[in-house]
Amino acid sequence: MLDDRERDQLTIALGREPTETELHIVSVMWSERRSYKSSKRWFQLFKTDGERVVLGLGGGAGLVDLGDDVILGIALESNNHPFQVNSYGGATSGVAGVISDVISHGCRPIGLMNCLRFGDPRKPKNAENLGDAARGISEFANSVGIPMVGGDLEFDESFERNNLFNVACIGVTESDRIVRGVVSQPGDSLILFGAKTANERLSGPSKYTTPMGSPLTKRILIDTLEQLLEEGFLAGLEDLGGGGLASAGAKLAAKGNIGLNILLERVPLKEEDIEPVDILLSESQDRMLAVVAPQNLESVLRILDENEVPNAVIGWVTDDDMLTIRYYVDEIAKVPVILLLSGFPEPKRYEEYLEERTTSTAWVKEPDDHAEVLLRLLESANITSREWLYSQFDQHIQGNTLVDIGENSGVLELPKGKRVAFTAACNSTWCSLDPFTGAANSAALALRNLVSMGAKPILIADCLNLGNPERPEPYSQFVETARGVGEFSRHFDIPVVTGNVSPYNEADVDGVCLRIKPTPQIIMAGLLPEGRLPLRRSLCTPWANVFLVGETHRELNGTEFQRFQLGRTEGIPPGYQPEAEKRTMNAVLSVIEKGLARSCNNVGRGGLGVALLKMVIRGNYGFRLDLSDVPGTAKKQSAILYSESSARYIVEVTETKQPEFLKVMNQHRAAVCELGLTMAEPTASFGSFVIQREKARKSYENGLRQYMKNL
Amino acid sequence: MHSVTIAVVKFPGTNSEKDVIRALQAIPDAEPQIVLSREDPALLLDADGVIIPGGLSYGDYVRANAVAMIDDMRDVIREIADSGKPMMGIGNGFQILSEFKILPGSLKPNKTGRFVSKWVYLRVCENPTMFTEGLEGKIVRIPVAHLEGRYQIGKKGLEKLNSSHEVVMKYCDVDGEMTSDANPNGSIENIAAVVNEKENVLGLMPHPERAVRGEVGSNDGLLILENFVRAAEER
Repeated sequence: MLDDRERDQLTIALGREPTETELHIVSVMWSERRSYKSSKRWFQLFKTDGERVVLGLGGGAGLVDLGDDVILGIALESNNHPFQVNSYGGATSGVAGVISDVISHGCRPIGLMNCLRFGDPRKPKNAENLGDAARGISEFANSVGIPMVGGDLEFDESFERNNLFNVACIGVTESDRIVRGVVSQPGDSLILFGAKTANERLSGPSKYTTPMGSPLTKRILIDTLEQLLEEGFLAGLEDLGGGGLASAGAKLAAKGNIGLNILLERVPLKEEDIEPVDILLSESQDRMLAVVAPQNLESVLRILDENEVPNAVIGWVTDDDMLTIRYYVDEIAKVPVILLLSGFPEPKRYEEYLEERTTSTAWVKEPDDHAEVLLRLLESANITSREWLYSQFDQHIQGNTLVDIGENSGVLELPKGKRVAFTAACNSTWCSLDPFTGAANSAALALRNLVSMGAKPILIADCLNLGNPERPEPYSQFVETARGVGEFSRHFDIPVVTGNVSPYNEADVDGVCLRIKPTPQIIMAGLLPEGRLPLRRSLCTPWANVFLVGETHRELNGTEFQRFQLGRTEGIPPGYQPEAEKRTMNAVLSVIEKGLARSCNNVGRGGLGVALLKMVIRGNYGFRLDLSDVPGTAKKQSAILYSESSARYIVEVTETKQPEFLKVMNQHRAAVCELGLTMAEPTASFGSFVIQREKARKSYENGLRQYMKNL
Repeated sequence: MHSVTIAVVKFPGTNSEKDVIRALQAIPDAEPQIVLSREDPALLLDADGVIIPGGLSYGDYVRANAVAMIDDMRDVIREIADSGKPMMGIGNGFQILSEFKILPGSLKPNKTGRFVSKWVYLRVCENPTMFTEGLEGKIVRIPVAHLEGRYQIGKKGLEKLNSSHEVVMKYCDVDGEMTSDANPNGSIENIAAVVNEKENVLGLMPHPERAVRGEVGSNDGLLILENFVRAAEER
């Protein structure tokens, strides 16, 4: 609902009292979710432009030029509130919605990613929610026929009452298929097509049902759109998502600097007796709104009819820059388009100082048995293999998947041999301890996931999931995470091309506010050099050298090791080191491009020990290393093994390539040290202790299954 | 050489037809064409071979959407099976052929109750079929992706399948062992693919059209599709 200030502003702008319908429309359009009224002012922190950017932040989907007229589209959405109410339904409607964002820009959908957050998986309810989410995503995505290329899954008590579901869709198109703006003349027709409209809302009063979307309808819609775009019949296109017809109409009108006249009684309905305002604001899935010139009208309607897609001409283009809504003879709303989209008064928001943390690691007790700690870390909820989840998603449909989920990134081959790696990352623990550093380092983690496969990062998509922005603490967390993502994007010159903000992820339970840890979900894509295949992380030669690139510092606060040893996380999380990160990135990209690396992994959650074991678990070889001394301030075994310092990689290099490898490291001033050799036997020898591959594999693969076995 | 027309049938909800067509386009002389299930089923009779690709669960959609049309389609598909022309059902296409009683047995929900998507190894039977020429006794690697792929058949049916060599592929591990760990869905005797008695109709759960280039992990699927095209040409 509008507050007094907003209502006054609306009345002044209209020059009269708003009608009932206008009040409804404006309160939806000026809501935080639709308008980003608390957050928009901070988007200037992001780097948003770049040579490759065809359509940047604010366009619903980002479009990026890969060269040779191959254009990559990406959209990232959150569907947290419906997902909290119903994991299955929320997952389904989230996937359905994000596909629409991409296809409405003229892209063919070629990949999906899902990012999930739940409470402690040892509680049956949380495991059950994960199971339901997996079923919802898998039924929808697999049926529509879009492969899953990656994602993120994190467990933390703070998500107990606010499960998170962020979902991305990747598409591909060519420049002449992009539906850019709206080029139209007054009198052009406005066509609504796709599913029929029902009395549904994504969130809101319980009198509305939740839209579910149907994979079959979506499939038919994708195929039909393909046909319409191929012929160039559409002068403008917008999908109907949150805010329904009102929002889609306003966005479409704004793109073309036009007005629209909409006749609500013409909207094809799934059920009778829907109030006009509910027709206007319905959030039923799988619907599209298009502008069509008179000469193409007949052909468009014929194609829609042939494909059995419900459709109707529901209005026409005007030249008055107004959204005019009629229901039979009554004009029930007439609002300037610009007023709907950006006429809100900026709300006042307050920041506060966030709690100071300490760098002290006095809590560390040097473990007696590192092998045992590493095995326990490998099966811990936030490190263990996600195979239970991702094996439920079709990863190979469309035949372009070069790397399945489970490596550092998923890799797809796009037209004309463009190979693109995709990864998702966010460490909400780091972000809760220091939102700026945590957000920037989450992005750095995503970057290393791409770089370790040989892909050069080209774009960022982000979704900032936070608490209530009307309260100072979560608002400050929001500003700091936005600053973290922004600084990162500028330091590394990687544009943020699409994004989303999900506020209000908190719940009052018995007077206590349960708020999520700030979760700036990062998705990043990277381009592989022409003709190159992605590098994997399993060791692949015996008697090769294993090098550690980067410095390891005594950074144990906020780590998985701290969670394991203390049962909680505290202190200042690992530092964000843009300069060191750049040096190691450039060094590693260069050695991979020159063909000097046999395998590569980056160091992330769990630290060096876990990263090394992941190189053994799925391969045929082991290693014999000496970890007594590595570059950086980490001296004790615990710091060397478990520190989560950023800017680090492990690279396997054969004997003959060593001199050149070291030369490149030197050129880039990247710290490097030889840890030891790979071995023909599948055993991980760390010097003072040894772990058999089968044991490590069992821990790693059992992790998630142990919680899900009753499902 | 003349071109070999392969009809690729698209039911409502079929989602792999483009992958099959793209894979066939890489085979010299193959001329794939989509036939929509709402079109005249007789179009299938003109083709040299017929492929029914995978898609949404057969039961949920095909039955609900177009019962009358399915009757016509069933008759034509039976006619093709009887004619000896090569026909292949992949994934849910296999399910359709078993529902039409053209292939023995049935496909039930996976043992886990969950969808499964992964690369699997398959042991190809020793007995030669037109689809597996050159692959007899070999281990191939092809992905599966299904919710209902657990092959089931009664005791007598199974005996007949085995005695008349109608089992074409079995799930196995990398060394060719038919272990239960290697069985992705709980199929009886690890069965992944069968042929009809005349050996001109193949049903298989793995997706050969997704294993057609070394870069994606294997081109074993292409060998099966090439055999299919050759068989269609020879007829």
